[in-house]
Amino acid sequence: MTRGPVSFHSMFIQGAGTAERTYDAIVVGSGISGGWAAKELTEKGLRTLVLERGRDVKHPDYPTAMMESWQFAGRARLSRADLAKQEKQDRTGYTTHPASAHWFVNDVENPYSEVQRFDWMRGYHVGGRSLLWGRQSYRWSDLDFEANARDGVAVDWPIRYADIAPWYDYAERFAGISGSRDGLPQLPDGQFLPPMEMNCLERQVKERVAKAFGGRAMIIGRAANLTQPHNGRGGCQYRNRCIRGCPYGAYFSSNAATLPAAYATGRLTLRPFSIVTGVIYDPRTRKASGVRILDAETNQTSEYFARVIFLCASAIASTFILLNSVSDRFPSGLGNDSGELGHNLMDHHFKVGAGGVSDDFGGQFYKGQRPNGIYIPRFRNLDAKSRQKDYIRGFGYQGSASRDNWARGIKELSAFGAELKADLIAPGPWRFGIGSWGECLPYRENRMFLNEKVRDKWGMPTVTFDCGWKTNELNMRKDMMNSAAEMLETAGLKNVTPFDDGSAPGLCIHEMGTARMGRDPKTSVLNGWNQVHTAPNVFVTDGACMTSASCVNPSLTYMALTARACDHAVSEINKRNL
Amino acid sequence: MRPSESPETSNVSRREAIRRAALLAGAALSPEWLGMVGRAQSAAAKTYLAAAQGATLAAAVDRIIPRTDTPGAADVGVAAFIDRLYGDFMTPAEQQLLTQGLQEIETAAKTAHGSGFSTLSATQQDAVLRTIATAQQDRDPGSFALIRSATILGYFTSEQVGRNVLHYDPVPGAYNGCVPIDQVGRRSWTT
Repeated sequence: MTRGPVSFHSMFIQGAGTAERTYDAIVVGSGISGGWAAKELTEKGLRTLVLERGRDVKHPDYPTAMMESWQFAGRARLSRADLAKQEKQDRTGYTTHPASAHWFVNDVENPYSEVQRFDWMRGYHVGGRSLLWGRQSYRWSDLDFEANARDGVAVDWPIRYADIAPWYDYAERFAGISGSRDGLPQLPDGQFLPPMEMNCLERQVKERVAKAFGGRAMIIGRAANLTQPHNGRGGCQYRNRCIRGCPYGAYFSSNAATLPAAYATGRLTLRPFSIVTGVIYDPRTRKASGVRILDAETNQTSEYFARVIFLCASAIASTFILLNSVSDRFPSGLGNDSGELGHNLMDHHFKVGAGGVSDDFGGQFYKGQRPNGIYIPRFRNLDAKSRQKDYIRGFGYQGSASRDNWARGIKELSAFGAELKADLIAPGPWRFGIGSWGECLPYRENRMFLNEKVRDKWGMPTVTFDCGWKTNELNMRKDMMNSAAEMLETAGLKNVTPFDDGSAPGLCIHEMGTARMGRDPKTSVLNGWNQVHTAPNVFVTDGACMTSASCVNPSLTYMALTARACDHAVSEINKRNL
Repeated sequence: MRPSESPETSNVSRREAIRRAALLAGAALSPEWLGMVGRAQSAAAKTYLAAAQGATLAAAVDRIIPRTDTPGAADVGVAAFIDRLYGDFMTPAEQQLLTQGLQEIETAAKTAHGSGFSTLSATQQDAVLRTIATAQQDRDPGSFALIRSATILGYFTSEQVGRNVLHYDPVPGAYNGCVPIDQVGRRSWTT
């Protein structure tokens, strides 16, 4: 008999009594954090209800995964009619490719407002953005966890690297992270699968950068792509079509990894089309008793109850739910005694770097499409020697080398004919490009808040953003661009072109910080275990919890923090504290 | 260690991966997907540009990418693709630029040779296009640049070119970052 995922959603829940609507745990959201919460809580014996606002997506049913360019009528373009529904989702330039547009929301049904531009990319379906993420997976270090205390910025993280290190081990072992062990204090090594390979030009640039810049590291990206079969999932096939969903399960997603593990326990109930509108607070117990939902298909409301509630709906959505959970005790949102809820919004700033071409390796090529690139870890403000005068914190670079393909022909404006065709069939010159990801400081005035006037398709309030980069980020960007050009020129690349295309907050899709962790309930929303200070059975383990932003990609840290919080929750339940 | 050479689990996982891929190919034949194909086919039958514009376009794209030892733009249906692009995908500004470009080609043909572009010899057509391309070199956006880029896109993303002209390897299975080009051939990969 095959053991398939079983979903009881909507079969008997509607109109059922309180007992039928009571679980041990409720998880809101099924993306990276929600999938981990579902896995951990069910494996620890808790009957768990996962509420997902969008449709179900079952592995490996990804409709475009095996489609070729010629099977899309507009090839790389979305039709005018479809694009009109995704004007904001289109701001990245890649999300609304017809191969992936179905993973991004309809902006007409899901509006938001901007005091300053904010690019809010959302995936409302089971798996959330775990299906769409860039898969770069790096540990944070004490350079990050101590940063706010050291700089006197915002509030101190209530945890240090030692608190999370074993949970990084745990998350990496399950998720499968490929990478090399490089011994860098600012980018701790982990439990890695074999690394992917650099190509000819990347190897050359790596050596030259190390030589010219006192050992500056360039490493292969550490990615949640399997370089060998792992935990029942297949190895990477090097198609580089990850964003469509991987039928081989070769990168980490909730759909391929954590949700199947949770289903396997027999204790998971997944309810798609369930928009959580608020957390129910019980003033008698001083804890939350459950959540209210709105059925996205029927518009019916209902309530579900549990001993612990994990909000894993994404930084903005989890905070939205808390802000919308108003009671006599919490008139400005559940857990918002500090007034920090919705504030300290962060994202990484990027789209700045440099590119150049190489005269070398004309006789070399590569085979396979690698879904990963190189990484140049942070080298600024690590110590007194690398301290910068005009900004604090730092940045890293992601990039890669490749040979130009036929698309280079589009940039020329006038050549045509047989010669052009022959030229474009052959691979072009090797090109090396790097783009920088920079840390953004937590500023109280960078925020999101409820908008009662603009309502979505379901009549719910919406979100307004008011968030912008400041001097520290803008000063850092100059160095991000100049250092990129300096490295590439020193490495011998030709026609090195620096660029700063500008990026509004949100575009990097690393939203963080709207319900930050901290030691003091007066200045933070969550404690060191991701519990709401004043409603300890409510955990928030997505990007909302982040106290600072680091410059490295955050998803691996959400995985580790979620697993750690689940362990704590169950331990507290067993001690009868929750 | 290469994915294809990995330990004892590899056989099972590869078999499973293939099964899933086959499943997916089956899923790809679901009514939804057939609907998509159906739409593409019926759309190919339908045209959006006027017949005269379509004739100019068809002649122009085949000079931009002519048939040699590999197929030309006409062989792989580039004009029909651009017509569809015009109908459903281009912005109004791009639509306007395209029709304006086709008009410019016609006007230049009539001025130089006194007859329609599609009736000229290949040499005359090339001369007309070169004149227009040169005249537009500093124009942004230029109508010839639009026709030209749509032709390149349509050609290199077509099935025939993707499968037979470029190097088609939809499931590489491994990554080798540095191989002598003559081992794999001097053709870009189909992506």
